Amino acid sequence: MPVSIQSKQPRRAVIVAGARTPFQRAFTRLLKMDAIDLGAAAVRGLLERTELDRSEVDGVVWGGVIIPSSGPNVGREIGLEVGLPASAEAMTVSRACASGLQAVTLAAAAIERGEADVMIAGGGDSTSNAEVKMGQRFVHAMAPIALGKRLKPTDYLGVAAQLMPISEVLPQQPKVAERSTGELMGEAAEKMAKRNGITREAQDALAVASHRKAVQAIEAGLLADEIVSVEVPGGELVTSDGLVRADTSVEKLAKLRPVFDRKNGSLTAGNSSALTDGAAAVLVMSEEKAKALGYTPLAAFRSWSYVGVDPSDQLLIGPAIAMPQALDRAGMSLSDIDLVDMHEAFAAQVLCVLQALASNGWAKHRLDRDTAVGEVDMSHFNVLGGSLALGHPFAATGARMVTTMSRHLHRTGMQTALLGICAAGGLGAAAVLEAV
Amino acid sequence: MSDYLVNLGANPSARKLVKSLGLPLPLPQKLSRGKGAWAPRPVDGRAVWVGLAGPADATVQSALGAAIPALGAEVALIGGGFDSAPWRQAGEGFGRTIVESDSAIDGEKAHALVIDATGARSVDDLRGLYTIGHGAVRSLSRCGRVVVVSRPPAQMGKPTEVAVQRALVGFAKSLSKELGPKGVTSNVLEVAAGAEDRLAGPLGFLLSARSAFVTGQILSVDARADGMPAGWDARPLDGQVALVTGAARGIGRATARRLAEEGAKVLVLDRPADAELLGEVAREVGGVAVAADITGEGAAQAILDAAGEHGLDIVVHNAGVTRDKTLGRMDDARWDLVMDVNLTAILQVEAAFDAAGTMRQGGRTIVMSSIAGIAGNMGQTNYAVSKAALVGWVAAMADQRASRGVTVNAIAPGFIETRLTDAIPVATREGARRLSALSQGGLPVDIAEAVVFLASPAALGVTGRTLRVCGGNFIGA
Repeated sequence: MPVSIQSKQPRRAVIVAGARTPFQRAFTRLLKMDAIDLGAAAVRGLLERTELDRSEVDGVVWGGVIIPSSGPNVGREIGLEVGLPASAEAMTVSRACASGLQAVTLAAAAIERGEADVMIAGGGDSTSNAEVKMGQRFVHAMAPIALGKRLKPTDYLGVAAQLMPISEVLPQQPKVAERSTGELMGEAAEKMAKRNGITREAQDALAVASHRKAVQAIEAGLLADEIVSVEVPGGELVTSDGLVRADTSVEKLAKLRPVFDRKNGSLTAGNSSALTDGAAAVLVMSEEKAKALGYTPLAAFRSWSYVGVDPSDQLLIGPAIAMPQALDRAGMSLSDIDLVDMHEAFAAQVLCVLQALASNGWAKHRLDRDTAVGEVDMSHFNVLGGSLALGHPFAATGARMVTTMSRHLHRTGMQTALLGICAAGGLGAAAVLEAV
Repeated sequence: MSDYLVNLGANPSARKLVKSLGLPLPLPQKLSRGKGAWAPRPVDGRAVWVGLAGPADATVQSALGAAIPALGAEVALIGGGFDSAPWRQAGEGFGRTIVESDSAIDGEKAHALVIDATGARSVDDLRGLYTIGHGAVRSLSRCGRVVVVSRPPAQMGKPTEVAVQRALVGFAKSLSKELGPKGVTSNVLEVAAGAEDRLAGPLGFLLSARSAFVTGQILSVDARADGMPAGWDARPLDGQVALVTGAARGIGRATARRLAEEGAKVLVLDRPADAELLGEVAREVGGVAVAADITGEGAAQAILDAAGEHGLDIVVHNAGVTRDKTLGRMDDARWDLVMDVNLTAILQVEAAFDAAGTMRQGGRTIVMSSIAGIAGNMGQTNYAVSKAALVGWVAAMADQRASRGVTVNAIAPGFIETRLTDAIPVATREGARRLSALSQGGLPVDIAEAVVFLASPAALGVTGRTLRVCGGNFIGA
C-alpha cells in the first residue's frame, strides 16, 4: 500500500475550539429536536464559548447520516438558524459514521487551499427523528390517487389490488442495515467477532473501561467545557450526557442477552453503542487568522485517510487500513503516537481492529508490509471514554473526537493523537492530530 | 435442452420415491453453478479442510496457506504434520480462525477437501490419502470439492517417486466417480517446482462453483509464461478486448456473455448468415459484431479492423462444425469443410495476428478441442483429426509465446446440452449424458466459465494444456 506523504501546505489549518450538545439516548430527552435543531444548538454554543464575531465565518461544512428531507442541506439551515451572515456558504456531507470527521477535514482542506480562513465544521444526527418511510410500492401505487386526474371507482380497486400483500406496503421501520448486503451492522460486527475469535468477556471489559474512563473524565471536569446545555421545546434544560453509567461492571454486562445472534452471539446492548441524539461542532481557522483574532490554536491535522473495504467481508475493519495509511502519510509510526482515539461502534469491532493492527499476518496480507503496525498501548487508548459510554449520534462522533483529542493534547502537552472511525458501507477513516 | 433426470432428482419427493421403489434410475445431483460475475471470495465462509499426504513441502504450504483463507474459506487443518504459521498469518490477514484437528471434524460438513501430496515420495506416504480421505469424504457437502495437490511425476528423481506422484491421479479420478452422484468434483492440481506462487488462481477455480462440470482432471501449473502471478479477484478482465468466434449461439454466446460480465469488451464473430442472431448477442454484451466467414480471405482483416489499435487480449476460437460419416462413406466436401473451419481457419487467423502483432503482452489464446479429439469417435475421423490437431498446436504454441506472457490452451468439452447435441438420437444422447462421473450433460455456461478462468490473470500458470470440461466423461479419460 504505497501512499504519498501528505504534502506540506503553505498554510496550516488549526483546530481552535469545539462544542457539542449533551448526547442522549434516542427517543428520550432530545426527542423533540431534529438534526437541524441539534446542530444549531452545538454551533450556537461554540459561537458563545469562543465569542467569535459571526461575520468572521466564511462557511459551514456539516455532516449528517439521517438527513431530514425537509432541509437536506443541514449546514445551511443551521447557519441561517444561528444567524450566521447570509454570505457564509454551507454544505452538507455524508460519509456514514465518518461524516463528522469528513466535515472537519474538508473544512481544514478548504482553509489550507486558501478558500477560507474561518470555518465551522461538525455533524449531528437525531435518530429519534429518522423518517418513517412508506414502501416504494405503496408510493408508486398511491401516486395516481394523490397526484392523478379524475379517477373512476375501478381505478381505486386497481390501486387496492396493488397494495397486496399488506406487509409490503406497511411503513418500513428504519434500521441500520447495509443496502448492498441487507446485513444489519450489528450482525456484521457479530460475524467479525466470531471470525477473529473475539470473546464476550473481552468485549464487556472494553465497554466497562469505556464507561469508567468517561466517568472519570466527567468527574475531573475534562469534558464540561465542550458540552453546551440545550433547552428543549417545553423548557427543559439538558446539561449533561445521558448514557454514561458510573455503576456498570463486567458482572452486570455479563447478564445481558445477545441481541444480533440470540443463540451463539456475543454482542449485547452493553457492548454495542446505542442509538443516540446529539451534535458536535468544531471551529477551524488558518493559523494566521487564529493568531490575528487572538485565539490559541489547540491542534492541527498532520494527515488523514479514508479507505473502503468489501462490505460483504468484514464491514467494520476499515480503520485497520486507514489508520496505518494516515500514519504513513504523516511520516510516522504507531510508536510516535501519544493518544489513540477510536470510535467504538461495537466493542467487538474495536477489538478486531486492534488485533489486526497488532498482527504481522494482517500487515503482510492486507498492508503489504513486513511487520505489524503495532500493539496499541491501552493506557493511551480512548483515555476520556468512547462511543460505548458517551453515545454515538452518527455524524457527531468524528467532530466529538477531534474536539476531545485536540483539547486533551493542548491540556496535557502531549504531541500526537491517532483517530480511527469505522463506517457503514465498509468505509474506514483515520487522522493524525498534532499539538500546535 | 434440459435433463429430465436432473429435474426429477431436484424434486425431493420424486427423489425419495425413486429411491424407495429401488428404480434403476440414476438421479444426478443438480449442480451448483456460479451466478453472474466472479465474487471477490469464491468460497466465502465455507469450510475447506486441508490434509497432508507425506511430509509438508514448505513452499507449497506457504502458497496454499496464503491462498485458501484469501478465497474466503474457513480453514481446518486436519491430520497433523503442518507448520501452521503461514496459515495463521493469512488467517489474521483475512479474519479467519484456523482450526487444527487430528481428524475430520465430527458432525460438521465441509465444502472442500484439499490434500497436499506434493511431499509424497513413498508408498507409505500415499497412506495419507486413505487416512485423510477416509475420514473426510463422507462429510463433504453436495457439490463439494476434492483437490489433490501434486508435483509433475516427470520432475521426480527416482522411479518410486514418479510412481507415487502418478498414483495421485488414480486416487482423484476414482473419487470423482465415487462422489460424482453427490455433484462433488475431484481433481488433481499439479504444480511444478518454482510455480507455487501461481497456484492461488487455479485453486480458486477448482474450489469455486465455476468448475462445477470439471471433474476427474489434472490441472497443471508451471512457470513457463512470463508475468506477475495474480490470485482470484473480481472483474478480472477489466479493460481487456476479447474475440469470440462462433458467438451467435450455444457455447460461443455463453462465452461472450461471461467475458463481458467480467469486464471485457467482446468482439463477437459468426457467419454472415447468422448476422441477425449475432447482432443480438453484440447488443446483449455491449460488444461489436463481426459478421464474417472465418474461412474466408477477409476474416482476419475484419477482426484486425474491429480490434483496432488496442489489439486483442483474449482470443477464443470457438467456431466449429461437424460433418459426420464413417470414413468409408465420407465425401471430399465433408472432410474439407471440417478441416477448413476447425483447423485451417484458426492457423490462418493466428498467422495474421502474429504478422500484425495483434495479441497483446500477457494475452490469452483459447481454442475448443473436443473429447472426440482425445478419444476419437465413430463417424468423426474428420472432426477428431481437426480437434486432436489443436491439442498438439496449443502445446507447441505455449512455448513459442511464453516469453511474451501469452498462454495458449484448449478446452475439450464433453457432452454439453446445446442445439447440436439435442439433435442426437435419444439412445445415443442418453448414453453420452450418463456415462460420466456426474451422470449428466453440461451447460454452455460450464465451458464459458472455463474460458473465463483461462482468460483471466489468475490462470498465468496454465499454458499448453487441454482442459476437459466433461463432467468426468468415461470416454478417453
